[in-house]
Amino acid sequence: MSAMIDEAIERQEEKQQKKIDFKMVTFSLAGRDYGIDIMKVDGISKIDKYTYVPNTYPFVKGVYNLRGDIISIIDMGKMFHIQQPAQAAKDDSKLENILIIKSCDLKIGVIVDSVDKVLGISRESMQDPPSLFGDINIKYISGVTEVDDRLYIILDTDKIFSEEEEKKAYQTESDEIDEHDSIETMDSQEESASPGINFIIETLNTFSRFHVSPVNRKWVEHRYDQWVEISQKRGQEPQLVDEADANEFLQTFFSRETHQLWSDEYREKMESILPAKMDGPLDVWNPGCGKGFESYSLACLLKRKYPENRIKVWANDSNLLEISMATNIVLQKAQIPAWINNGGFIQDGSGGKVFTKAVKDALYFEFHDIKHKNMVPNMNLIVARDLLSYLEPEGQKKVLDEFHGKLKSNGILVLGENESIEHPGFRAIEAEALSAYVKE
Amino acid sequence: MRVEYINPFVEAAFSILKEVLGDDLSRGELYLKATSQPILGVTAIVGLAGDVEGRVLIDLTEKTAMKIASAMNGEEMTTLNELAKATITELANMITAQAVTKLSELGFTFDLTPPTIITGEKMEITNYEVEALIVPIETSHGKLEINVALRERN
Repeated sequence: MSAMIDEAIERQEEKQQKKIDFKMVTFSLAGRDYGIDIMKVDGISKIDKYTYVPNTYPFVKGVYNLRGDIISIIDMGKMFHIQQPAQAAKDDSKLENILIIKSCDLKIGVIVDSVDKVLGISRESMQDPPSLFGDINIKYISGVTEVDDRLYIILDTDKIFSEEEEKKAYQTESDEIDEHDSIETMDSQEESASPGINFIIETLNTFSRFHVSPVNRKWVEHRYDQWVEISQKRGQEPQLVDEADANEFLQTFFSRETHQLWSDEYREKMESILPAKMDGPLDVWNPGCGKGFESYSLACLLKRKYPENRIKVWANDSNLLEISMATNIVLQKAQIPAWINNGGFIQDGSGGKVFTKAVKDALYFEFHDIKHKNMVPNMNLIVARDLLSYLEPEGQKKVLDEFHGKLKSNGILVLGENESIEHPGFRAIEAEALSAYVKE
Repeated sequence: MRVEYINPFVEAAFSILKEVLGDDLSRGELYLKATSQPILGVTAIVGLAGDVEGRVLIDLTEKTAMKIASAMNGEEMTTLNELAKATITELANMITAQAVTKLSELGFTFDLTPPTIITGEKMEITNYEVEALIVPIETSHGKLEINVALRERN
């Protein structure tokens, strides 16, 4: 493909490589979005009743026993005089969302309306707060940033809580003492999530467009535990700072033999899930084929196993650069496994070995986005290894429905090794090193 | 869009525009579109029929169309008159013809329909059951888009 395309793709990649060096937990309070440095956040919890402490500042709601630690609970809204929109009479049984913040050796629980998510941003995108900010005294704000059209005010928790500790003059604007008289309870419901894995989920999406979903969650959780260990050995936080980190995290995700022609061993595994005999022409769909190694391997495998049948592999990918290389692939001898070399699928070409015309004629490479309408005939086999994880959950569902619709009955769907689905109409096939399903 | 079809169109658009305008061109990132898409104001269409069927659009704003027509004719045009329209039509014809020539060298056969030009505001084009490949090209006279939608005849 022409150098012009390479250039365009490089440009596009450059754009995406924005460095993420600041992560914040975002929450909303009185309808606005705020963020707090993730390093200051110890956890997120939901609590219901805390113990009221008399004679404190109005913004101190009380204390709470969080797994043995006594923490103070602070109402950020009151502390900064943020007018809560006319609130409906507070339902006592409602759980409060609490952000647990570490500041100056203290753990403080801050009541917020809702905890949103973990966001990674670049420090460069942070701006100084405009001097006319109203709600919160400007010295408590470390910056402002905009992500996806939402403006986040980033709070400097150290400043906020150290001042509180020093008991700098805090003029109570109203003498209104909170009326709530919650009786202490210990049996509150609480749930706490480590922000670490959530941040990883977010950054995987940002850097690698990898979507964590039920399809791959098991693998991600397992990998996260490994990752924490790896990071500890290196003396780093278990987080993904840039694209290189994200790629390293995902290194063990991909199915074996992804960017190569399949070895004899893998061919046998794949053949073991296919029926001994098939009738009529065979149509195979290989979305997300990348540079085409998988598609060529499939075409050779099927031609070898079913020499009588007409084989057609419909391969497509939305990465123009990769798929452009697939059509005229040139191989070096070392890249070609013996079963393909000896199967009569290879001939000499200029600059190396190439596939024979018979193999090439069985392949149909398309620059195509699977989220668009798929104009392929009904299929005997669909091989979509490690494709679903790169689609948004909505897209995954749509594509799975489409796979189901496009498969002939008893047709086989092969997913990535670390992917699994529970989708009506698909039954899992027991197979080593493969995640395969048959249409019922 | 079959991979083999892409490059002939990209190359043809580039070399023809370079030939007729003779200035620096740059090409944006190629992308695919499946849904309805707004068109810029002046659109020349060439239909393709044969083993492969579909159409090629050259899409540009009226301002760019006049500038390009002026440059191609060597005279200043201030309205999109018959001559300007004929010039844009010819441009579409040249690009499509060169691409089709390249494709036929690769063994794909096509027939072309006579080009048609459509002008107007707030128009949209929708393709059913086929994806469109967009090749944006930036010239010193403004931006134009080559929009190719092809599919194999079943």
